Amino acid sequence: MAGGEQLLEKTLTVTNQLGLHARVATMMVQTLRNYTSQVYVIKDGVEVNARSVLGLLLLAAAPGSEIVVRALGPDSTEAIQEISRLIQDETQEES
Amino acid sequence: MKRKKRVKKDEVVAQPRFKDIETNRLLKGIGVSGGIGVGQAVIIERLTIDICPRRILRPEDIPGEIRRFEAAVETAAEHLKSIKRGIGPQHPLGNHLYILDTHILLLQDRMFFEGTKRAISSERQNAEWAVSETITKITSAFDTIEDEYLKDRARDIHFVGERVLRILMGIPSESKIHQLPPNSIIVAHDLSPADTAQIQREHVLGFAIDMGGRTSHTAIMARSLKIPAATGLERISREAQTGDTIIIDGSTGIVILNPDADMVFRYRRRQEVYRKYQQSLMAYGQLPAVTRDGSRSISITANIELMDEVEMAINHGCEGIGLFRTEYLFMGRDSLPSEEEQYETYSKVLRNNVPNPVTIRTLDVGGDKLASTFGISPETNPALGLRAIRLCLNRRDLFKTQLRAILRAAVHGHCRLLIPMISCLTELQATKELMREVKRELTAEGKPFNEAVKIGMLVEVPAAVTIGDLFAKEVDFFSIGTNDLIQYALAIDRVNEHVNYLYDTLHPAVLRLIRQITIAGQAGGIPVSMCGEMAGDPVNIPVLLGLGIDELSMNALAIPRVKKFIRSISMDECSYLTMQAFRMQDAAEIHGLLESWIRERFPKDYFLDQT
Repeated sequence: MAGGEQLLEKTLTVTNQLGLHARVATMMVQTLRNYTSQVYVIKDGVEVNARSVLGLLLLAAAPGSEIVVRALGPDSTEAIQEISRLIQDETQEES
Repeated sequence: MKRKKRVKKDEVVAQPRFKDIETNRLLKGIGVSGGIGVGQAVIIERLTIDICPRRILRPEDIPGEIRRFEAAVETAAEHLKSIKRGIGPQHPLGNHLYILDTHILLLQDRMFFEGTKRAISSERQNAEWAVSETITKITSAFDTIEDEYLKDRARDIHFVGERVLRILMGIPSESKIHQLPPNSIIVAHDLSPADTAQIQREHVLGFAIDMGGRTSHTAIMARSLKIPAATGLERISREAQTGDTIIIDGSTGIVILNPDADMVFRYRRRQEVYRKYQQSLMAYGQLPAVTRDGSRSISITANIELMDEVEMAINHGCEGIGLFRTEYLFMGRDSLPSEEEQYETYSKVLRNNVPNPVTIRTLDVGGDKLASTFGISPETNPALGLRAIRLCLNRRDLFKTQLRAILRAAVHGHCRLLIPMISCLTELQATKELMREVKRELTAEGKPFNEAVKIGMLVEVPAAVTIGDLFAKEVDFFSIGTNDLIQYALAIDRVNEHVNYLYDTLHPAVLRLIRQITIAGQAGGIPVSMCGEMAGDPVNIPVLLGLGIDELSMNALAIPRVKKFIRSISMDECSYLTMQAFRMQDAAEIHGLLESWIRERFPKDYFLDQT
């Protein structure tokens, strides 16, 4: 998929142990600073901006829940890849 | 400590309060970090969101008010950044500091930032009011969340809002917390992570907190800092005043406000007894750990991570380093440490003169932790993934560099090599082959190194235990890593609060695994040591001795007590208790056996953590 103003969507399962928690949300927002695409996360019909820690936390995406990531922009593919990595991979969290 | 209260010259003398003030007011919370503290209350953060000034703005004042809010947010972010800068990666709270980044992002979060500005411009609320309204709205949204952990994050936005409010209202933010008078007991409704990170450790004798439980941030942090703490006290921050005398017992969760002289005396005595006991223990550090009957001598060594821990370990009586973790050399950086850098570090540790070997464990992390350095693709289950020796054999360049550095440093002292997470013979053989290769290269380069460094394996995968007899022929020693062994054997993730109650060092399965590996070690004629928390707690020790463990490696602080304990017991007692324990069906029963035995046998000692 080569660049362009692509609207991409990917469904992901939150697999890390505390869910989409503070550390992951923080890393997501920090990571997205390197991307220009607009990125949204949707859970149970509620859509939030992926650049808002509060929005992400309020999704209350507990472990095992399904979310949809939607990105629009020149680097949407990479942005989505990066987010799925964070949501599914980061496991070294503390309460 | 004298009974009379001394007043330091720079200490604010508490104003005399009404004569009929209630003395010995007792509050019961949850003891979350052990020890007794007697000191003066310092109230932190009495400010709550609902007591801020409220007024309707004149339309012409709106732009100015928005600028005032933006400036306050800017200042708040600067504060947080400077707090973070001031705390090094080796701070005991290092792990928890990401939360400061979260707070910085919350300040800039559009829900908070834009939401507040909207309240100023359209509702014509002054900045304080607008902040307070916005925070209340956001936190109430968290109320509906069922997940306890996520629900708790409402506290974070609350802390952030308070920080901005304090700036708007001209209330100094952290002044109190980093300029505490000596002997302070910190009293707060809740402590933000930023607060806790900044306290002067040496002036704080305890925490007494309204909110929270065992797993709150304050509790976790207090334990890392080894400061007595009680949480869940509900109203202590409203009942106490700065300067009040306050007693806190972090084991029982009891807090006594304005104790009378008698009560202070009683607690000081208890505290004193405990402290004297701790001091008297120090003498045992310098004695050998020989059982009372003289029939068995155990080598007591220390687990260390940072080089500067060596000195403390020696002071506490370690006879060697049973586990030198090398991970910190690799963490928190973009590039891998060079051979020279590693060589310098290992050499420094080895030059310290300890009678028994320094056991250097090769890199023991998961790829997930070094993902940015390695570009390793995500794993669904990192605990069972590419980590420790698997990662090292996958990244031979990295492993060879470390082996070269260790072999070269080993000319400076007595050194052993410990390989983590071995699960099959192939891994061990590959490691040994790599060692040979490294030695050939070093010889060719004419670099001095130690040819005879012993290789041991960290026994932490249950599979390795079951084929211990095969391994015993291949290695020079075994070291049982109990933390991971228990986790893998019982299928329990220790940091998962839903299942960590199942984690038990005295589970019959754990004891049987240890027995199996000590038998394999004895049959193969190699020593068996144990590192991991289990080794430092006296409750486990009779059984460990009964099973024939040769060396116990632990946190340096635990050494004097363990030595005293071993010197107080006989091998007959150990064998008897071990036999009893192996007849029992579950961990609780075994715990009961050992605890009641220790309590009856040594009623005046503090060998059990709960006493």
